[in-house]
Amino acid sequence: MAELQKDPMTRGDFLGFGVLGTIVGALLTIPPAAFILGPVIDVNVRGESDVPDDWFRAGHVSEVPPDEPKAFVVAFPLNQVYSERQVIEEGVDTQEQTLRNAIWTSWKDLKPPGFIAELGQNRTPGISREQVIEAQGALNVLSSSCAHLGCPVRWLVKEDGGEFLCPCHGGIYDINGAYVGGPPPRGMYRYTYEVREDGYIYVKHEFDVGGDKGSQKPFVI
Amino acid sequence: MGAISKARSQAADAGKFVADWMEHRAGVITIMEHFLYEPVPKRGAWIYTLGSATLFLITLQFLTGILLLFYYVPTTDHAWNSIYYIMNEAYFGTLIRGIHYWSANFLLAVIGLHMAQVFFSGGYKAPRELNWIVGVVLLLLVVIIAFTGYALRWDQDGLWATVVGMKIGSYSPFVGAYTIQFLMGGDTIGPATLSRFFAIHVWLLPAALAPFIGIHLYLLRRHGVFGDEMEYRERMAKLQERQRLEEYEEYEDDGEPYVGRRDRADRD
Repeated sequence: MAELQKDPMTRGDFLGFGVLGTIVGALLTIPPAAFILGPVIDVNVRGESDVPDDWFRAGHVSEVPPDEPKAFVVAFPLNQVYSERQVIEEGVDTQEQTLRNAIWTSWKDLKPPGFIAELGQNRTPGISREQVIEAQGALNVLSSSCAHLGCPVRWLVKEDGGEFLCPCHGGIYDINGAYVGGPPPRGMYRYTYEVREDGYIYVKHEFDVGGDKGSQKPFVI
Repeated sequence: MGAISKARSQAADAGKFVADWMEHRAGVITIMEHFLYEPVPKRGAWIYTLGSATLFLITLQFLTGILLLFYYVPTTDHAWNSIYYIMNEAYFGTLIRGIHYWSANFLLAVIGLHMAQVFFSGGYKAPRELNWIVGVVLLLLVVIIAFTGYALRWDQDGLWATVVGMKIGSYSPFVGAYTIQFLMGGDTIGPATLSRFFAIHVWLLPAALAPFIGIHLYLLRRHGVFGDEMEYRERMAKLQERQRLEEYEEYEDDGEPYVGRRDRADRD
């Protein structure tokens, strides 16, 4: 081979060029690639999320009406670029950006626990330990983000009750968020939630997929 | 000789001088001839303007986009407000943004017509396959630019369209989720998403689009829009021969020496 080349290359030259080329190539490509792929590395390699893994207060159980669902808006803090916690603390006049999710809550099959009617609408400060367990078992805490392509679903009142309808492509769910019709491949996603003794519903920015699958992070919104 | 006709002939002389000067040093007129003159059949010649219409609309996008950048701010707390300012306060803001918006919409429609014309006339066949491939790359670039531009409005319409678009993309096998995380700048839509869409819409893809437009035009002129390569060359040769003869005739009458090739406008 070598004698066919106008400018013969020895094995040493070849090796030298190869090593040098690899080093220079790496020096030129790794910094810009890591620079723009940073978030992908953070999420997939370091397992970070833009929303802190904390509990956030949604609303009081007494606010969930017995006959229809109720949407609570939860503003999750968003740790992205200029909204990172460190930038907020040390930066100039930076405002924290939030991810405002509408969270649909309803009583399973519209059967609220007996004590809810007694609470009334006055957001009674506390409920007992038994009532917490009772309320937790009777609640649906659903993501408004449609299981199809993520548009926000809304409650549509009909003569025989109602349904969750997605405005984008017509996905339909029942009061418990179970799939009724349209393009979605499954029912509405359920937030990981808990009811505490102050009577409030607390959610994490993650979905309870149920069974042995545990939880998953909401994607996109 | 009146003053007006004198001024006119002086201006023509000056123009001729500048054209000659540029032609001798940069071959400008040869390039212009090559890019502007193209034999097309008389019947249905309008159908050959669809490519030019696309180029015109893309040029409009570049120009109005540059203008919009003087006021637009790509942050989540100011993006909507800055567009509100453009639409309500800035001089001709409604017009400039309107042109950007409507020519973007028409651009996709005209690209569809342009592709249909090339497809039904068999314009993608040998030796023009590569130009079709380059055209498809251009189409994809334009579609992604349109998608990323939608999000920059940062209103309900743009946001949810972006969410739906990214969810669709996330179902791509293997790379889907990573691509969307790259676009979003994390695992949720947020400030990073807007910054990234801005960078992609305003710098990355337009910068990628420009050279591909250049290649598209080069390949177009290499093969012509109509007839095969040999036909085209013959036609160009005949056209140039005729022009040369006309020029000779003209200069023989004047008794002036032939200096160089001039375009039609110079001779009048």
